[in-house]
Amino acid sequence: MKKTKFLTIAACMALAFGASAVAGDKTDAILKEAMKVDVAKTCDPQKNSVTKLLAVAKKYNPTAVKLGVEFKRLGMTTTQYIQETQKALKAKSKTVTLLDKNGKPTDKKVSVDYAAERACKFAVRALQEYVDAQTTYKLAIPGEGYKY
Amino acid sequence: MVTRALKLAAISAIATMSLFAGQYNQQAEKDRQALIKYFVAKFSDPVKNAARFFPYTPTEELKKNYRPVKDWHEFAKGVYSFAKGPRQQYLELIEMPPYEDDVDDGEELYNSTKGLKECFPKPAEAAVEYPKYDTKKHEVVTLTMAINDCVVKHGGKPWNPYKGKIAKVEAYFAAQARDAGKVINVKIPNAEAEKAYEHGKKYYFSQRGYIDISCANCHVQGAGKRVRRDYLSPLVGQVTHFPVYRLSWEELGTLERRLKGCIKNQGQQPPKPFSEDMRDLIYFLSYMSNGMKVDGPDVRK
Ligand code: HEC
Repeated sequence: MKKTKFLTIAACMALAFGASAVAGDKTDAILKEAMKVDVAKTCDPQKNSVTKLLAVAKKYNPTAVKLGVEFKRLGMTTTQYIQETQKALKAKSKTVTLLDKNGKPTDKKVSVDYAAERACKFAVRALQEYVDAQTTYKLAIPGEGYKY
Repeated sequence: MVTRALKLAAISAIATMSLFAGQYNQQAEKDRQALIKYFVAKFSDPVKNAARFFPYTPTEELKKNYRPVKDWHEFAKGVYSFAKGPRQQYLELIEMPPYEDDVDDGEELYNSTKGLKECFPKPAEAAVEYPKYDTKKHEVVTLTMAINDCVVKHGGKPWNPYKGKIAKVEAYFAAQARDAGKVINVKIPNAEAEKAYEHGKKYYFSQRGYIDISCANCHVQGAGKRVRRDYLSPLVGQVTHFPVYRLSWEELGTLERRLKGCIKNQGQQPPKPFSEDMRDLIYFLSYMSNGMKVDGPDVRK
């Protein structure tokens, strides 16, 4: 009896993380790591170098893309924030040119710090939201977790 | 002895299977009913139920701007079911529907495009046949995808899934279905299909993107409220009327186009039009409009 109960709980947990279980062990490991990141600290350009922020973004964003939860803000995806910030660094520029929806440069510019901070925060937060949603989504469903 | 046990096991397995067959929509039905109950509670008397559902809206505003909705079928009109001002504008607009030429164009495309007649012999049926779970392909097939697959299979180039020809053909199908009084009746034929439904549902209720908000934040808990100058439509009945002619687009667009816009507003890169995320989301949305009449094409702001 005890054993079946334990199994049921295990199965439920597996289901709750079903999407990530399907996605594979590697994805699971990245998700676990992402949950431990303190975004405010890790992605702060005052505390960490721009190169470091970009490294964080590059570590997590591919998983966000794979899971279909990549951020997009001001018409630019996290991938584009990463790419454009890298380009600016290479060109030793202090600013990043924002792109339009067709990937063409606009006349809007932001600082390299700002773009790197965004890339870093977006990449990590996308995964944190994804993991949170595995359990919180039911709380919004009338007839399940949502009471009114 | 052993064979007898096996036989018994086989019989009971079959019995269980048939017991569950046709019940793969049990959860979906429960969800749909619970949502209808919620929206009817919310909209049947906004003034009286203000404390529960509109605590931050002044009573005067509720009296002036909201129209009670008691019959859930009316939610097919979205915002125009409950918001008095926009409803009035809408009623004036559809006296001369801006999509009429599109329906005619759609009929012509249907007749002239190689393959469409074979793939969709009954236009009115096509509008309610999709989205469907294709048990052979093991995936949800949306109408937009089915039309495109058909065009390509018959040697054509794929059409833009958001607007233009595909939207026009869909407008023709919808108009035929509306004339024939067709009712939306999405089916969940097996366990795989149920999984696709659950996946779409999870997509809908998951917070996502830069804004960290779910579809439900706006279209369930937020339905009836306003963001800037727009009222928010309820989930139930949200997809009875596609394709739509949007005034902001100044043209007809598909459901995929509308969803792409909402997902972008959440601050997320929208899924591709034929991706699993998009198709399963449409499957879930469409099931939530089950029991309502096809009401497309239509006009929205
Ligand atoms: C920030 C709020 C917001 C979020 C989040 C949001 N939408 Fe919308 N949505 C709107 C607004 C505003 C409109 C236009 C007014 C209306 O019809 O609700 C709209 C319209 C729609 C329509 C068309 C309704 C009609 O009557 O034609 C559909 C369908 C829709 N949304 C689906 C979704 C889905 C699915 C999601 C999640 C992927 C979503 N929305 C997320 C704000 C939102």
